[in-house]
This record gives sequence, C-alpha cells and structure tokens, in this order.
Amino acid sequence: MRDDPIAQVLDDLMRLDDIYACIVARRNMISVMPTDEQFKPEVNQIWDVIKRAMDDVFTVIGEYSGAGLTEIEFRLQNYEVLFYVFPEMENALVAIVPALANKGLLEVELENARRDIFKIMNTPSQTTDTTQKDELYATA
Amino acid sequence: MKETLETAIGMSRKWEARDAGREVAETAIQKLNRPPDFFLLFSTIHYEKYGGFQEFLNGVWDVLPKGTPLIGGTVPGFMNNYGCFSRGASALAVSSTDMDVAVGVGKNSKRNPFRAAKQCAEMIHNQLKDTSYKNKFLLNFISGPVIPSIPGVGQKKYIRSGFVSKFALQALGLSQKLMQKGLSREDEIFEKTVQQLPDYQMILGTSMDDYKGIKNYQFFNEQLLTNAVVNLGVATDLDLGVHTTHGMKPTDLHFTITKLGAQRHAICKINNKPAVPEFLRLLDWPEGFLTEETMLHTILYYPISLRRLGRDVPVVTPLIMKDSILVPCVIDDGEVSILTVSGQDLIQAVRENLRLFNDIQPEFGLLSTCMTILQTLGHKTNIIQEELHSYFKDKSFLLFYSAGEGTYSKDKDITYANMSFNTAIFGKQDTKK
Repeated sequence: MRDDPIAQVLDDLMRLDDIYACIVARRNMISVMPTDEQFKPEVNQIWDVIKRAMDDVFTVIGEYSGAGLTEIEFRLQNYEVLFYVFPEMENALVAIVPALANKGLLEVELENARRDIFKIMNTPSQTTDTTQKDELYATA
Repeated sequence: MKETLETAIGMSRKWEARDAGREVAETAIQKLNRPPDFFLLFSTIHYEKYGGFQEFLNGVWDVLPKGTPLIGGTVPGFMNNYGCFSRGASALAVSSTDMDVAVGVGKNSKRNPFRAAKQCAEMIHNQLKDTSYKNKFLLNFISGPVIPSIPGVGQKKYIRSGFVSKFALQALGLSQKLMQKGLSREDEIFEKTVQQLPDYQMILGTSMDDYKGIKNYQFFNEQLLTNAVVNLGVATDLDLGVHTTHGMKPTDLHFTITKLGAQRHAICKINNKPAVPEFLRLLDWPEGFLTEETMLHTILYYPISLRRLGRDVPVVTPLIMKDSILVPCVIDDGEVSILTVSGQDLIQAVRENLRLFNDIQPEFGLLSTCMTILQTLGHKTNIIQEELHSYFKDKSFLLFYSAGEGTYSKDKDITYANMSFNTAIFGKQDTKK
C-alpha cells in the first residue's frame, strides 16, 4: 500500500485539517484508503451510519454516472459527505468534512485529487488494480 | 543591447516548509537564462504547521540569488498556468534588461495605516524617481483582517448577543491600536498610497490565511512580517494596464444608511431602524434566518453597493453584530442599494475584464481576486483558470486570492470592491487591432 500512488493522493488530502476521512470507493466496496488506513477520530463514532448512507448514494451514482453525474453530497448530523465521481465510472472519491468547513477551499483540492487519481487510473504503469482492491476492502 | 524579457512561474505542493521554499524558487528560476529582477511569492497558510514561514523563506533563499527583490505573503489560494490551488506555494519571477524595480515595506499597518502606507510608498519613490522608463506599476500588498477572539464567544462571523456586539463595536478601534487585530484597513492604505504615488498604475491585494481570519504573514526580502504593507514597484517600457470588474448587478432594493458606527465601519441603522432586521425585511428573509452557517450560503450572494467619497464600493457583509452590519472599509452614509451576484456573473466578469486587454499581446499578468469567489465557486473556479489560460496561452500569469482588492490608474481612479476580479497585464500594444 505504501507505494500506491492513489493512496498517496489520499494521504495528501488527509493532511488538510478539515478532511476527516477520504477514500476511493464504489457501492459496498472501499477501493483505496489512505496509507495508514486511518481516519480522523471525529468520524469513528458515526462511521457505520455514514457508510450505510454512502452505499445508498452509490446506487444513485451507479444509475446516473453514465448520464453525466459528476458530484453529489449529503449532510448527516454535523458532517458533510462529498462524492467526486470519476467520469463514466461507478467509483468516486469520497470525503467527509465538518458541516461548517470552508468548503469552497476544500473543493479546489478535492478536484485536484480527483484529476490526479483519474490520471493515475489511466496510466497503465501506475494503474491501481481496483478489482483487487475491491476484494481487499469489501465491506458489504 | 537587445531587450530581453523572461518570466516564469514557480510552484510547489510539498508539505515541509523548507523543501517547498526551495522548490518554488527552483522551479521558477530554472526556466530563466538570467537572475530574476523580482520575485513575487505567495503561499497558503499550511506551512505554519510544517516548519513555519521563516523556514519556508529560508528555503527560497537557499536557491534564489541574494539581493533579488522579493515580496509576497500568505493567501487563501492561487491560480497560475498549472491550475488552481488552495494548498501550496507559487511565485512569479521576472527577468528583464529593461526594467527598474523597487520594493518597500511599512510596519504596523493596522495600528497606523497612514504612516505604514507613507513609509512604504516613499521607499518606492526614492528608488524609482530617476527611472527613464515611462510606465510605472505598483503592487500594494497589505496584511489582511484578523478577527479578534471575543472572550466567551471566540472568532465568529455572527454575534447574536446585544451586549457582546455593543462591546465589540466599541472595542474595535482599541483592538486595532493595541493588539493589531481587526479590519485590515487596506482601503485607507490604498488611498494613501495613491495619494503618494499618483502616476503609478496599481493593483491592491491583501494577505490572508485559509478564510478563517486568524493569522496572516507578509514576505519582504528575507524578512517574515505580520501587520505590514509591502510594495513592489516596477518601471518599464512595456505597455501595461490595470482593470477591475465584479459582475454584481443592481436590484431594485434600496435603503438609506442613517447611522454609522465603529469609525464608519459599521452600519448601525438603515431607514432609521436597526440595520440587520431592516436588511432582512428588505430581502424578505425571516428573522433568525441568518446564522453562522447560512451566512456562507446566502449573504455572499447579496453584496451591498456602498458609497465612499463619491465612488461606488460594492462589499460583502463579513460580520454581523446583533443589529449592526460590519463592513470591511470606511464608508459614507446616504442612499445605497443591495446587489446580487451569481456564479455565472462572476465568470462573466472575468471574460469582460480580459476583453478590455484584447489589444495587448501579453507578456505576463498579475491578478488579485476576492477569496469569497473561491469560497463561492469552489472547484468551479477552474473555469476562471481556463479563461486565463486561453488569454495568456504560454505566457506566465499568477492570480492570488485576497480579502480586499482593487486597482488604480490615473484614468479610472480608485476602484475598490469585494467579490472583484483585478488584473494587471504587461505586454505590447497590438497595433494591428
């Protein structure tokens, strides 16, 4: 995992104060996590409910990503969950941020991360095998 | 001797301060054939936690030739030829055989803005008074606002308590004098700078952190400063122009400011009624609608067109204190109006601005833009980057986000506005157009 370029992009995001968690995921499956596989402690207590809600959102993403759905977000308690969908895929970069975060600034870096990850996915030598990762992190 | 002009954009996304400092300088100067004549440096606040800004500057000076004029500071984000970023550092390095350059500094900008502005402007004047180049430019970069932490309340954008608000409004001046916390007074500094250097074309920007208003830093050569104004003066034969656009549109909602407070920084009464309830009534928003949270999503889209010395000053409401609206600049009373703006309007303002420079073949550009645009557009701010990229093509440009910005030229006078897009473009007049 240490050399996974996608995990390194997620590591960079995790260093931002207001990114409590970030993953590359699809329905029922976390494909890539940050290198140390840790989220910030704030989300631990509500992770289970957020995870269930996320899976429902991925149903929508699966349905509409082909129609041009690029972003979706929901608010749960004091958190917002942002989905940056990879073009024409059922995978998304998912980030959990506090509800009162300066979201505009975070969005800029999330978009940069989406572009970086998408580039990695499309570079043959660096491609993360998401099928293999799906097996490793399958949570459903 | 043949005229040479080279420009380069430096960039670093490294986390450690010293490494980032080195990289931002290296990536800029490696594209130049001779040492830069000035180096403009902007960084997000993140390096405070990853080694500190003195280390960041030390990293820059590990690489940058000694004596290169350098100014800059912390900003909420920036965009350049490579993209749009709210974390990292970027620099504009310019090298020219036909250019005179000066840098200046004035300290204690919140305690004594006029003295700081005068000191800084005099440094520029003294260094460039004998220049033979016809066009003069100034970047006026000022320490931005720091929201004072009120005991028991903290740093809030919306204060509900009447008692705390009354205390805070009265203490604002004192806070600025004693602790240098409060509004940045960039409008006053800019006015004074224009008075001192009326022949310069100017662009104004302010230093800020990540939109929180807790701390900001300025860079002046090797020095790391707070509460300072730093100037870059350039004399050149290049054609240059500055321009401000904002995209805010008038509504039919007008009101009269009938009482000002906090040294003309607070609207206490409008239409002879407490300002905030009357403002909500005009917008048809229910009482209690504005909160710390809703302010981010609502009030940014309804700026107010205020007046100052006969000029229109469109501003965003940064702070509400019970019944009073605190504004970022000194204003006059009288009739004003509520404006409205959308994301599309903001992007249109960029296009409108660049259209004015259609007859210039750009060599490089420096731009300051309101950080509320970054907050409002989020990653859609990349649309602005694409517009700039298509205008500048392979020529360098650096845009920094700011908390109070504007431009000045003799022809257009001072334009100070929030939510605005400000350009300074250097190039050659295209005589064919």
